Amino acid sequence: MTFDPVLLEVLRTQVQSITEEMAIALMRTARSTYVKDAADFATGLADLSGKFFAYPEAMGVSGFLDLDCGPTIRAVGDLEPGDVIITNHPYLTGGLSTHMPDLQLIKPYFHDSETVAFGWDFIHSADIGGGVPSSIAPRFTELFQEGLQIPPMKLVKAGTMNADFVSLYRANCRVPDLNLGDIKAMLAALTVGERRVAELIARHGAEAFRALQPALVDYAKEKSRAVQRKIPDGTTVFWDYMDDDYLTKVPIRIRCEMTVRDGEVHLDFTGSDPQVLAAYNVPTQGVRHPWLTLKLMHLVGSLDPSVPLNYGLFENMTVHVPKGTVLNPEFPAAVGVRHATAIRINDAVIGAISKATAGLIPAPSGGTVVPMVVAEQDPKTGSRSVMVIQSLVGGTGARQGGDGVDGRDSGLANLYNTPMERTEADAAVVVEEYGLREDSGGVGEWRGGTGLVMTVRVLAEGTAILGRGLERFVFRPWGVAGGGAGAPCEVILNRGTDGERNLGKIDMYEAAPGDRVTVLTAGGGGYGNPFERAPDAVARDVRAGFVSAKAAREHYGVAVVDGAVDGQETARLRASAPAPPAFGFGPERDAWESVFSDDLMCELSRRLLALPASVRTRTRNAIMNRVVPDLEAVSTRGLAALITDPELQKANLVAEIDQLPPVP
Amino acid sequence: MALRYRLGIDVGGTFTDFVLAREDGGRFAFHKEPSVPDDPSRAVEAGTAHLIQAEGIAPGDVALVVHGTTLALNAIIRQRGAKVALVVSRGNRDVMEIARARMPNSYDFTAGRETPLIGRESVYEVSARGLSDGSIMTPADPEEIAAVAKEISAAGHDAIAVMLLNSYRDGTLEREVAAHLRAAARGLPVVASADIWPEMREYERALVTALNAYIHPLMDAYFDRLEERFKGLGVTAPLYITANNGGTISLATARARPVDTVLSGPASGVLAATRIGDHPALLTFDMGGTSTDIAVSEAGRLEFTNTTMIGDYPLMLPVVNVSAIGSGGGSIVWTDPQGLLKVGPDSAGADPGPVAYGRGGTHPTMTDCYLTLGIVDPDGFNDGKMRLDAAAAADALGEVAAAVGLDGPVGAADAAVRVATAKMATELRKLLAQRGLDPRGFVLCAYGGAGPTHANFLAEEAMLDAVLVPRLPGTFCALGAILADVRRDYVRPARQMVERGGAGWPRIEALIEDAAAEARAWVAEEGDLIGAHELRLTADMRYPAQAFELPITVPHFTPGTLQPSTLFDLYNAEHQRLYGFAEEDSDLEITNLRLAVVGKVAPISVPRAQEGSSPASNGTRRIFVAGGWHEAALYMRDTLHLGARIDGPAVVQQPDSTVLILPGWAGSVDAYGNLVIRRAGQ
Repeated sequence: MTFDPVLLEVLRTQVQSITEEMAIALMRTARSTYVKDAADFATGLADLSGKFFAYPEAMGVSGFLDLDCGPTIRAVGDLEPGDVIITNHPYLTGGLSTHMPDLQLIKPYFHDSETVAFGWDFIHSADIGGGVPSSIAPRFTELFQEGLQIPPMKLVKAGTMNADFVSLYRANCRVPDLNLGDIKAMLAALTVGERRVAELIARHGAEAFRALQPALVDYAKEKSRAVQRKIPDGTTVFWDYMDDDYLTKVPIRIRCEMTVRDGEVHLDFTGSDPQVLAAYNVPTQGVRHPWLTLKLMHLVGSLDPSVPLNYGLFENMTVHVPKGTVLNPEFPAAVGVRHATAIRINDAVIGAISKATAGLIPAPSGGTVVPMVVAEQDPKTGSRSVMVIQSLVGGTGARQGGDGVDGRDSGLANLYNTPMERTEADAAVVVEEYGLREDSGGVGEWRGGTGLVMTVRVLAEGTAILGRGLERFVFRPWGVAGGGAGAPCEVILNRGTDGERNLGKIDMYEAAPGDRVTVLTAGGGGYGNPFERAPDAVARDVRAGFVSAKAAREHYGVAVVDGAVDGQETARLRASAPAPPAFGFGPERDAWESVFSDDLMCELSRRLLALPASVRTRTRNAIMNRVVPDLEAVSTRGLAALITDPELQKANLVAEIDQLPPVP
Repeated sequence: MALRYRLGIDVGGTFTDFVLAREDGGRFAFHKEPSVPDDPSRAVEAGTAHLIQAEGIAPGDVALVVHGTTLALNAIIRQRGAKVALVVSRGNRDVMEIARARMPNSYDFTAGRETPLIGRESVYEVSARGLSDGSIMTPADPEEIAAVAKEISAAGHDAIAVMLLNSYRDGTLEREVAAHLRAAARGLPVVASADIWPEMREYERALVTALNAYIHPLMDAYFDRLEERFKGLGVTAPLYITANNGGTISLATARARPVDTVLSGPASGVLAATRIGDHPALLTFDMGGTSTDIAVSEAGRLEFTNTTMIGDYPLMLPVVNVSAIGSGGGSIVWTDPQGLLKVGPDSAGADPGPVAYGRGGTHPTMTDCYLTLGIVDPDGFNDGKMRLDAAAAADALGEVAAAVGLDGPVGAADAAVRVATAKMATELRKLLAQRGLDPRGFVLCAYGGAGPTHANFLAEEAMLDAVLVPRLPGTFCALGAILADVRRDYVRPARQMVERGGAGWPRIEALIEDAAAEARAWVAEEGDLIGAHELRLTADMRYPAQAFELPITVPHFTPGTLQPSTLFDLYNAEHQRLYGFAEEDSDLEITNLRLAVVGKVAPISVPRAQEGSSPASNGTRRIFVAGGWHEAALYMRDTLHLGARIDGPAVVQQPDSTVLILPGWAGSVDAYGNLVIRRAGQ
């Protein structure tokens, strides 16, 4: 290493601190709840290529470390001191912005009239216009419904605010004062970064500041490669599903082929489904993108917590994503809910790593983030106000040597929950139960974390319960290395009464006063053969109520009587232990794949991608519904029941594929 | 009348510190006694006896004993408290399991969650439950509660905590359940959340209540022994216990509310810093073995936070706001595979401690660095009671130097100081940035064993104005104990919309009066040493539907005279200051009312420094700082008198610490006897 190693450590601390001071300035003065409560913002310092050489450690969104400001900066062209670029465009920024509420600001930092770095920050703003308040709805099918598109342009020119832009912007969002307050906070944060960079240069010189940037990147690259070498060389393939695309019941498949050579990892997403109609598309622009590599970043950060946070961490990763797929959609496909798809990308990458070497990474988590929302009617005006009363997740997956965590999941967003007391003070509901869900964690030598159960009783007329973006109702979080799948999500009305009814995947349920709505979230996947779980650990789970005595007997081969292990009976049960499959997918996926095999789905995708975007998705949906005629009934009848004749249905699928124009 | 004395005691993990002060400020004595971990009261007894004898006073001359201890904190962190049962409303059994649903680290999937303070098998549900308007949804069922009490006793629990949903709004139902439990589970202490801290948020309220129960048996037994030992010594003075809020409480209050004392050690240090001078912008710098703690004080006021972390647990109580900013003296210096030098977060702690202690430590620490750089004297550590092994320290640092390619042990030690200082300085800047403050103008008050040694490095790096080293940096928390007033905090959740014209105001007035009545009743029973008392009010407020609230403290609050317009003006001004605008015509929502009662204790004057001869140096010490070797003048602290001036580079030796003055800085003694180090020429 050519850079003085002591100075490198000192300056690494200082440049990271600069980004953290920027984050503090943003948090202190921003006004919207997205920034204050959800911490849906980030800050960074980018080198002249536009990628981040410094990033905060625990402030704001951690997952955007590998975003690239370069295409945006180049799109604007000439920059002078005092300029600030603004954009939110998912298709004109090379993947910097991935849905439109995310406002991105970039400021060039100058020294002696030369650019030495770029300051960057983003926030998820409260509203950017479009078809619904706060601008995001899964049902949207085009970017034009999702709000105001801001191509890369100057918000501030040589220190003067672009008044024309501001008035156009004000006219196109629902809460302009709130948004402009947040933009002011973003500008203040960029100024803090600029001042701190100037101070650092005054102390250590511009040359050191310039040389520091590649030195830090190389340092991170070396560290991440050392971790990635723990994945054996070779190629593995894995795929996973989202239950449906919201507008239909057709599942979305994400496929990842991972090739590893001496610590260099290539992720090929060929074979993933074509872009979908609803707003689940992830506009990565086909480049190495944070939404694709998040799990690899978690792997590196977990196995070497000292890795400096900069894009060097990703420099041993490459990707390939065919254009026109759900992971690289064509304009103007809607993208508002891209984060739901990102969870499944993570699961596909976890699977590919687990296949290469079980034990390096935990089994998948519950795989869903359910904002449970109550809409209440004002009795005087009739207008409805909407509030999130709880953010429900599943448990985390088990790993070699550790059970999953019950009822929590930091995989995508590490949010605080809402106290029941706050919910009851704000909304006309009683939270009758908010707890852990028995027998929901995937079974295994190490148990998957349990899901949650939450029951609310509705008190007022005109109340609706919304559960948008619900996932893992059909395809379960799977188990690894002989572990079993977590229980799938469910929504039940008046559970445990005569009037009990399975509501399936609700979008909006119009409730009557006295109705009790129960949401059960999925458990994390299990790890290892459950018949090898320590009997005492099983008994402890039974005593604490995480596992029922019945499940202990059936799935773990452990007899628990009055909270204690019956050793003799357990030995008898375990003597006839069946060898579990390496991956425990659950009956739904096994049934589905008896028709929709990997080779057929890859060929179907390949042929569909040759069709124009406008007909591609509709053609696919029509084919799937012809092969599974009752697919629309999946949420009440279950997927396995719809695969009535696998042989015949598979033959039908082959015939459908043959009907599509062949692709060389 | 005989001259009377106050005795301050601070029990730490390694040493128990004592300060004995005559009430007129005429005499001050201090003492450090090795702590006795399995019975801390023995060190208290031994040290008290020693001081009384050494000062030649009678046990009856001690008029007040103020005591602080980390016993409760250690019990929590090392999970050695009582076996507590938690009783909750039905449907809330997993309050401890789910907590606030956050994971400690969103990158690291090997980092699990916290171990719940109370496991699921010790949480019991009852049907009693309130609603958010204070009404009762389901009343208490005495038979059901008796059955639960029987189960709890049978399972071998030591104490019971009760937290029913919405009891923050009205504690009557919860107290009723607690009473039934008390009657049925005879002998077990039962505590209700509404009596500990009635604020909204069921997890935090359950936790603060459970923590109180968790440490209650342990602290009660300790206080018993403490009382016995003082009785045995003939010390009959009233015993007070230092509290988290920088105040003190009577022994009786501490027995009922031990959770109020958990974080009292750091609070006492900060309180002491505000009482030994007159600095408008002060940062405390308490560098101990494993970490360095810092607190901000402006205009002599303590800064409070309403939630702080104890290990993995959030404590929802007003606490003097102290933050850890990095390495302590025992933090380990190491290198990563890429050849970068790092300091911490791992620490050698007190045992085995630094390599130089010769107790089996093999990893070099910051203390080994100070020794290798020549700043610390191997023969003068802890008043010469402990010899340090300089050669061993240098060997260990030599290995680090070889791995990084640095110039020998001194090169490694210098690099470690630079790395550790850079980290502290960035953390300090962030801390100030969160408050919108600039480091320039701040004075760093250094105490704890290593604080005075490292403070000048930090002041230079962070562009602070000055370093202040008190006369007795090694027993500073014990000093704080006898300088504090009696204090307790109260909260009343309001969530009340108020109009400037007065609509909604009567309920606010009633809530304030309710809290004030409770506070007055408490302070009246808290002891004869309290003179006048005052009430301080802070209201958490926001505009309607605003996503966050701002705490507004009312200056010179007098109950019964507060008008809504005062709060409106204060809130609008604060909003203007922070966000550049105010909604002058808007109504306001008051979410919480926070009231503190402060019972004034007659102050003791800190002794003034005396004029004396100009200091004579005790020779020189060769030290490596600021990139090179220097012959630093060496002084003994007790020879420095008012007005003395020492130019850096210099080292000031004192029994409990070593003070470093860098080149380009100069030290002088102020009227309070503090050594103040400023940039030369200022």
